[in-house]
Amino acid sequence: MKKFNSSMNLPAYLFLSPALVLMGLFLIIPALMAIYYAFTDYYLLTPDNKQFVGLANFIEIFNDPIFLESLKNIVLFVVCVIPIQIGAALGLALLINKNRKGNIFFKIAYFAPVVLSLVVISVLWLYLLNPSEGLINVLLEKVGIDPQPFLSSPKQALYTIVFVSAWQGAGYQMLIFLAGLQNIPGSVYEASKIDGANKWQNFIHITLPLLRPTTLLIMITTFIAAFKLIIQPMVMTQGGPMNSTMTPVYYIYQSGFSDRLIGYSSAMTVVFGVVIGLITIVQNKLSKGDD
Amino acid sequence: MKKLILLVFCMCLAVVVTACSNEQTSSENANEVSMWVHTSNETAEGKAMQSLIDQFNEENEDGYTAKIEFIPRSGSGGGYEDKINAALTTDSLPDVLTLDGPNTAAYAEAGMIAPIGDYISNKDDLLPSIIQQGTYNDQLYAVGYSESGVGIFYNKQMLEEAGIDLATLPTVEEPWNWNEFEDLSETLVKEYNQPAIDMGLKDQSEWLMYAFTPFLWSQGGNIVSEDGTKATGVFNDENSVKTMSFIQGLVEKGYTTKTPVEKGFQTGKYPMMMTGSWTIAEMNSSYPDIEYGVMPYPTSPETNELVSPSGSWQYAMSATTDKEEAAGALIDFLTTTEALTKISLENSVLPAATSVIEEIREEVSPQMQVLINQNAKSAHARPVLPQYPKVSRTFQETISDLTYFEENQDIQKLLDDKASQIDKALQ
Repeated sequence: MKKFNSSMNLPAYLFLSPALVLMGLFLIIPALMAIYYAFTDYYLLTPDNKQFVGLANFIEIFNDPIFLESLKNIVLFVVCVIPIQIGAALGLALLINKNRKGNIFFKIAYFAPVVLSLVVISVLWLYLLNPSEGLINVLLEKVGIDPQPFLSSPKQALYTIVFVSAWQGAGYQMLIFLAGLQNIPGSVYEASKIDGANKWQNFIHITLPLLRPTTLLIMITTFIAAFKLIIQPMVMTQGGPMNSTMTPVYYIYQSGFSDRLIGYSSAMTVVFGVVIGLITIVQNKLSKGDD
Repeated sequence: MKKLILLVFCMCLAVVVTACSNEQTSSENANEVSMWVHTSNETAEGKAMQSLIDQFNEENEDGYTAKIEFIPRSGSGGGYEDKINAALTTDSLPDVLTLDGPNTAAYAEAGMIAPIGDYISNKDDLLPSIIQQGTYNDQLYAVGYSESGVGIFYNKQMLEEAGIDLATLPTVEEPWNWNEFEDLSETLVKEYNQPAIDMGLKDQSEWLMYAFTPFLWSQGGNIVSEDGTKATGVFNDENSVKTMSFIQGLVEKGYTTKTPVEKGFQTGKYPMMMTGSWTIAEMNSSYPDIEYGVMPYPTSPETNELVSPSGSWQYAMSATTDKEEAAGALIDFLTTTEALTKISLENSVLPAATSVIEEIREEVSPQMQVLINQNAKSAHARPVLPQYPKVSRTFQETISDLTYFEENQDIQKLLDDKASQIDKALQ
């Protein structure tokens, strides 16, 4: 490999510098500060008066029923939302992969929720899901199902948010799947046709295996995004009913900015960051082992 | 060429960064007071404030002037408070600021605001709830410039059709108790076959704290002990259990609902609604056809003591200011009868002082008069605690949890849990 000379390095670093500066300012420095604050009793209103408190914040976290509940909720959320969202994305991608008239329309329609702000989506579904006058319940009644409480039931609220989130996010993964699908060479399908494979066999033995790299990428990104759930519960349920939709990021936000306990919420951030980091590492290991 | 572009880019970045960094809040002029307010200059409240400041600038005899900066807050209270928090870290608070009632204790405890009792000449005239809300550790730190209140709004036509004689309805002078409230609800539920009253149980928000604590206070209960150190033994005592059973009963018996129809009262679907002074303005502008009246808060049958919600935004002086005299003069001016009257009338909010009540009584609607009278007689400020946000949220959760009566039949256990959560926050 050719050795780079230093006169070429300088412009390279210069071009990198805006990205590095911004990343440093908005990601790395805040992350380091959060780790530092996690060991202090930083109270939002007395920024000049921080005391080092050692592990006190961390001990409190593991005795905080709301934080533990929020961890339980988010795991349940992720486990439910990933198969639904990715399944839906793949299904939609397969639907619009064929050359049909009006495909563009469907492509835009499926993608539209991704473009809208999550707050708008949440408010929209809040109206649709209203127990007494929402469209969904009116439709359910028409087909003879009793009106459902949806967001106002501790048993249904989280699953309702799973559904709304999957509906909102699937369009994005659909586009990536579509790109993956279009990368599969047509010759492979021609060969299988000659061998007499039917559509289902095509899908199982050709499409899915060749989509594997795309699927892995989507899995990991969706996974991380799903763990960061905050806007939907914030707008739709305020973490209720009975904390059934409280998520770690939402609780961190509440502790930090409503309760003003920056030290405590920084400690939660650190714990939560470590948890996600570990899961991502395991996920990476597993997927590499398979190859 | 590329290098040139890069150079230009870097220079632009440098300019932007330096431009952001230098912000001077406090004016150089030793007689000019800087003031931050949470509203926009487009609102009625903002306009009234601006004209008061203009008047101050013209009339002040000691040559003090003031400069007002509008920092509108978003729906959930963000925006303005974010700016205050940021100013704290850079030590750039204005000389005078507005703050929401429940923030008094936290701001005073953190040493952000200074006691202003000595500057306020109109102190004896202010409503007790205003003093209560602005006092922390026996010192007055902030003065509310208006009040708020809540009553039971009722649809006259719907009540009459249910066979109720409107002349027998309760008044502030002769209030009603929880049992009578339940009886009326029962009648209305039977007549209309749907919840009788929308009590705003839909969202878990500050409303639950603001509107439901008076029931607890009327019963003689409280959330935390007098010295503000403990909730266990207070929030889970007999009075709390009785109050919470009453509230849960309202949902369980179908008198109210946790999933009300949007604008149910305004559109004539529900006969009653528990709501505040702001609904009066809404009814006037958007639903002029609905004839409605306002009843006072129901009281505990054991005490018959009328207690009603109150609370408002207030003026305070920053503790870091070096213009105490000027800032004190401004707050004093803003809390005179004349200034308070102006803001009450223009913003259609409840008055904060006895003299203002006299000034505007003739000019406001009969519905507003009920709330004004109730306020003067029974307004109770929310607890003045540095840990208020967490205490309030736990109380909100308690009310919200209660409405799930099937899951929370054991009120004592629920209250034990919540009290220990509050204890943790108070430590």
